[in-house]
Amino acid sequence: MSTNDKLNSQEHSQEDEFPCEERGCDEEARTWQKAAHAQLRGNPTEEAGAGAPLRIGIYICRCGGNISDVVDVERVAETVRLIPGVTTAKVHTFVCSDPGQHMISNDILQENLDRVVVASCTPFLHEQTFRGAVARGGMNPYLYEHVNIREQASWAHKHDPEGATAKAIRMIAGAVGKLRFAQPLEQIKLPNHRRALVIGGGIAGMKAAADLAARGIKVMLVETAQKLGGKLNQWGRVYPSERPAAVLVAELAERIQQDPNVEVLLGANVTEVSGFIGNFKVAIELQGSSTSTPSRKDATVGAIIMATGFRPYVPRDGEFLYRAEPCVLTMPEFIRFFQGLSGGAKQIIFNNRSIRRIAFLHCVGSRQLDGVHEPGADGRLNTYCSRTCCTTILQQALAVRERFPGVEVLDFHQDIRTYGSGEENYYIEASKAGVLFFRYDGSEPPTVQPTSSSRIKEGALTVAVKDVLTWGQELEVPVDMVVLGTGMVAGQIGDLIDQIKLATGEDGFLQEVHPKLRPVEVAVNGVLLAGTAQGPMNIAETLAAAGAAAAKAASMFAREDVELNPYVAQVDPTRCCGEAECVTQCSYEGALKIVEMQLDDEVIRRAEVNAGLCVGCGACVAVCPHRAIDLNGWRLDQYEAMVDGIAADLPSTACASELVNIH
Amino acid sequence: MTVPFVPKILVLATEKCAYPGADAVGKAHQEYPSNVYILRVPSPVLFPEDFYLGCYSKGIDGVLIAACGSDCPYHGAYDRLAGRIDQLTSRMSAGGLDIERIRLTAICTVCIKAFLKEIAQMSDNLQRLGPVNRTLAEQLRRTSIERLQGSTRSLQPAPALQGVL
Repeated sequence: MSTNDKLNSQEHSQEDEFPCEERGCDEEARTWQKAAHAQLRGNPTEEAGAGAPLRIGIYICRCGGNISDVVDVERVAETVRLIPGVTTAKVHTFVCSDPGQHMISNDILQENLDRVVVASCTPFLHEQTFRGAVARGGMNPYLYEHVNIREQASWAHKHDPEGATAKAIRMIAGAVGKLRFAQPLEQIKLPNHRRALVIGGGIAGMKAAADLAARGIKVMLVETAQKLGGKLNQWGRVYPSERPAAVLVAELAERIQQDPNVEVLLGANVTEVSGFIGNFKVAIELQGSSTSTPSRKDATVGAIIMATGFRPYVPRDGEFLYRAEPCVLTMPEFIRFFQGLSGGAKQIIFNNRSIRRIAFLHCVGSRQLDGVHEPGADGRLNTYCSRTCCTTILQQALAVRERFPGVEVLDFHQDIRTYGSGEENYYIEASKAGVLFFRYDGSEPPTVQPTSSSRIKEGALTVAVKDVLTWGQELEVPVDMVVLGTGMVAGQIGDLIDQIKLATGEDGFLQEVHPKLRPVEVAVNGVLLAGTAQGPMNIAETLAAAGAAAAKAASMFAREDVELNPYVAQVDPTRCCGEAECVTQCSYEGALKIVEMQLDDEVIRRAEVNAGLCVGCGACVAVCPHRAIDLNGWRLDQYEAMVDGIAADLPSTACASELVNIH
Repeated sequence: MTVPFVPKILVLATEKCAYPGADAVGKAHQEYPSNVYILRVPSPVLFPEDFYLGCYSKGIDGVLIAACGSDCPYHGAYDRLAGRIDQLTSRMSAGGLDIERIRLTAICTVCIKAFLKEIAQMSDNLQRLGPVNRTLAEQLRRTSIERLQGSTRSLQPAPALQGVL
């Protein structure tokens, strides 16, 4: 017997009407439970739900303690088991695990369940997971209801376990109420356009396009610049392979250009995106040559890969004397300068000065602290680590020492994060090559000032640091050049964020659904993330992410149709009188109209929904005097039942019984 | 023993904006009162007036409509929603239900502070107002349904279908 199985709650006998009493709970909890029970039992929606009595299974997740450390899940199970129609209520440590899902599908078969509730994390994580489990048990997946007792109870009411537990019970009661009015629904099938749009022709976009094309999928690769390669065109050799970036770009570009499946659009921008998975309508503006006017290209694609990349952090004017002193450079500026030096150069000459000592500063524009750093123009602090600057600094420091042994290199860091495969070598080699390391505390970053006249010969700029490695000695080091280890900030993709409805994190980068479980997907189905559009990554990680996005897109194209949730409006023709109040509220051309139909000898008028055009906003629902139109999956009576569940601790009132009358 | 009044708040949170916003609050382990309940909705535009009044009649003290604002993914839905809530507010005001019990606001997917502020503000307001007058709310709800049904030409479905009902 596995641990998980042991942790499963035992089936409790239904005879214990108030099992809480036996466990010696306090008076308040018991009173509450009794009141809830009375209310739940007398729930007026019960009679309204037609047909045979329901058999509802409820599964409560501990989430390994994330939920059960706060919410008393056993008490939740004991209480919700009292709700009429509930035949099973079980607790499991991870309902999303294979054994957890198996338990659900198994119970459906063994106990003839016809409705299932899982109370666990946010529906955005596992609603689909459990719909799948329910379907495997042979039940219609839309007779499933998800309750979010992690984000909305245990995590949000950590210091109120009693309140969180009561809330979880009422939320489940609401879900059960909703299920009483649930109808089996079928997914809507629409044609899947087997073609992908890749936005961004940098290393990520190129890799994603090449991989998709190799699987026989048509790809449109759209790049703003006039050439492929993106940021890599600016770098020299890339770590840890030390191959020239240009070679990497050329190899991928060749694969793409030779593949007839890829259409490369340079000098092009995606200006409009609408639609949904399998059926995105996109408009692309092509700049054309300097003489011709921009042209527009329209296309329908099934998937969109966001390979829009990052921007290098640009320091504020005066930040470490940037733009105030010519010898203060950002890392991209330094790399371009350094690789531009002629092969025979014996010394580094910059701005007509011989450079004898260079300081590299880590974490410029990264790992910023409130109160220490100034927020950027958008009011944001870049609190994250850009992950690539440490190794880049060590790579460049080492290159300087190897080519110009006479030049001293100083490294000012708060930490050194050479985390990737082969990257620690740069630290070891740089140390061996005589790079001098200084370490500062994050709250006291080094400063750069013009050197005082007495020491001007040693270098025009002075870096002052409180060095942790020498137990807080305050050092002032004159140098000739300061290189700022600038990090990554989110790329600017303008209207696309709004048009595609992309989520961004607090750092401004595009946000995945789940960093581990769904790392390249976003909340919008059919849109995938590739590379640094999502956050700082090195080239190896970028390529891995791009490959994953391509694989994910390819798997979407394996199906001929795309299946959409059937959350569209539905008319009950037995209630509809053809008055068309609803039609006046609909903003979508053709989604809702009045049709004439023959019934016996009479021609009658009824509203009719076009499921392919209806977006499911529900604007029509509120105005119908007969409640003849409703949103599938989100019916008004379902919402009313949920409110009943939430209000369950209050004594039953006369007014509640009237609710059924207008249904 | 008198139980201190803890207002019960219902948040109607849009699936694309405010619901993930509320998730973000939980993920950040930020706390708010446990008597706040969040329902996921495509767009709150689907609720008729009587739904809100029904909430009050069932003992919900305040309703916070946490919508997408100008980010609403549905064309025209936000303007309609705003219009409907305007009308509801004036009806509540005329009928004697305090309009602080309802609030329409926009909460984005990462609007943690805004969410907490809205909750705190409504809790404070409801604490001051005390429990909702459920009988009054129920009267208003019935009036609202009558008004909706009376607004149309016929109250009954077509005769041919009456037998079906």
